[in-house]
Amino acid sequence: MSRRTGAGAPPRSISVVVKIVLTVLYVIPLVWIILEALKSAPEALSAPDAVLFSPTLATLRSVIGEAGASVLLSLKVTVAASGAVILFGLPASYALARRTTPWWSRVVSVILILLLFLQMVPQPMTVIPLYGMLAQWHLLGSLTGLIIADTALVLPFSVLLLRPFVLAIPETLYESAALDGAGGFQIFLRIVVPLMRNGLATVASIVFILVWGEFIYASNFITEGSTYPVSALLAQQIGTYSTGWNTLMALALLTSIPLLVIFVFAQRRLTAGLTIGAIK
Amino acid sequence: MVVTAEFRPSAVTLQEFNDAPEPARQPGRLRPQSPWAYLIAPLILLGAISVYPLIELVRLAFSDVGPTNLIGTWQWVGFANLAAALRDPTLWQAARVTLVLTAILLVSDLLIGFLVASVLVSRSRTNTALMALMTFVWALPPLVSGSVWKFLLQANGPVNGLLGIVGVKPVNWLATPNLALLSVGLVTSWAALPFATLVLRGGMLSVPRDTLEAAEVDGARYWQIQLRVVLPQMKATVSILAVLAVLYSFQSFNFIFALTSGGPGTATNNIPFLAYQQAFANFQLSSGGAIALLAMLVIVALAVPYALIARREEHQ
Repeated sequence: MSRRTGAGAPPRSISVVVKIVLTVLYVIPLVWIILEALKSAPEALSAPDAVLFSPTLATLRSVIGEAGASVLLSLKVTVAASGAVILFGLPASYALARRTTPWWSRVVSVILILLLFLQMVPQPMTVIPLYGMLAQWHLLGSLTGLIIADTALVLPFSVLLLRPFVLAIPETLYESAALDGAGGFQIFLRIVVPLMRNGLATVASIVFILVWGEFIYASNFITEGSTYPVSALLAQQIGTYSTGWNTLMALALLTSIPLLVIFVFAQRRLTAGLTIGAIK
Repeated sequence: MVVTAEFRPSAVTLQEFNDAPEPARQPGRLRPQSPWAYLIAPLILLGAISVYPLIELVRLAFSDVGPTNLIGTWQWVGFANLAAALRDPTLWQAARVTLVLTAILLVSDLLIGFLVASVLVSRSRTNTALMALMTFVWALPPLVSGSVWKFLLQANGPVNGLLGIVGVKPVNWLATPNLALLSVGLVTSWAALPFATLVLRGGMLSVPRDTLEAAEVDGARYWQIQLRVVLPQMKATVSILAVLAVLYSFQSFNFIFALTSGGPGTATNNIPFLAYQQAFANFQLSSGGAIALLAMLVIVALAVPYALIARREEHQ
């Protein structure tokens, strides 16, 4: 796309400086995660900023052994939360994209504002009442409780993000389906759901990123001593002084690998989806 | 928008189709539903797990709840918790920290974000690669980026190592009060910049091309075009980003947690972190709830302009 050629480009000198600074700022931390993860404990302790050292996979191997179960648990929670978001968010976004009567449009505006507000409430604020709520429901310390909390975290914004995808479905498709004699639910199932693949993939990848990285719920709603999700494990290790930098960075690396996989598959959708999410 | 609405199958026409006797009335065919059929279950779920906690937060803030009576009856105490929170100087210290972090984030998101988006807006190979790199960093768990910066900024860490080469003495990035606050602010900005760039870049790309070409014919230079032609057309994008930046400063919780735990002393304790500490380190859920409720007032105040801008955008 060459739409910017009309307005020219920034002066080369500024452009080059900005790009070099950005590369340094965003590459170097990633490189250091890998460097530290490849150090042995004594090396990480004696010379944490050394660039030259004999790399070892021992740290990484032991971390995978210890945190493997946590990674699996995180996968379970992430998949369950994504499932709930699709199961409830998709029909909701469909309903909120319909324009049947003026009265319904008013209902839609009210619900959209409610969703907008709900997605704005920061997690450190919701964790306090959720703790009380899950305790009363006897779900504190269970995986179900954590999945409920994570679903509540991502559902409002997921509906807002899915709705423009429904709106983009051309009306003529609904009309011809109705002419073919399809009922309301068949239209939803046969027309809307298949056409929402792109939207669902976008939302699922963002939900994955958020739920995978979230540690506030994960470290408070799971009983201490049992297997933690991997982000909560990281939270716990950061607070423990005896944890060496090599172990911490190896754990950080292990936590990042599934995200790298998601990112490779979803990068383009992600950039588009994030922009929709902010504006629409 | 009104025009297209006419082409949508109204409930009435669908009704006529299904009620018509001739076109094979299959058993089990569903009658046209009102949109409610798709909304009821999600609304009930949202009510139970998203709205109800907010009601609980209010109830918590006005009751006396600790670990002993968390499950059980909550003693109503009226405004006692809120009054106690407002009297406590740590709240005002936390408010100051929150303001400083918000200011740092606003400047970096809007000014640096605009600069970076202006540089990365054209689609060259390096720009695409840089955007991808930054988006990946945005996607990383906050504790991963938080812990690597904790490592980079520690007393004998690489940042000081690098400064040592230039002859600068080691700096205590995370252990000196004001510097620790600045460090938390900068790391939060670093983590937020990719998103700000994406949003601003999207806004720049949607500025109509002919205005840009007209501007160039006039011989205006790049930064003049960016500031005088492009920026004024991005008002909605910039205002929403500003709202999000203030909100995101609440999320600097993640980096406070990773980098300083609110310290040294209370130097980096912002309001969300204070509320969290009260509830989960001191087990005073009511006191934490009261502070969280006060912070909620800020969110409500921000939600109004956000909703207005978002609605106006959608009606265009």
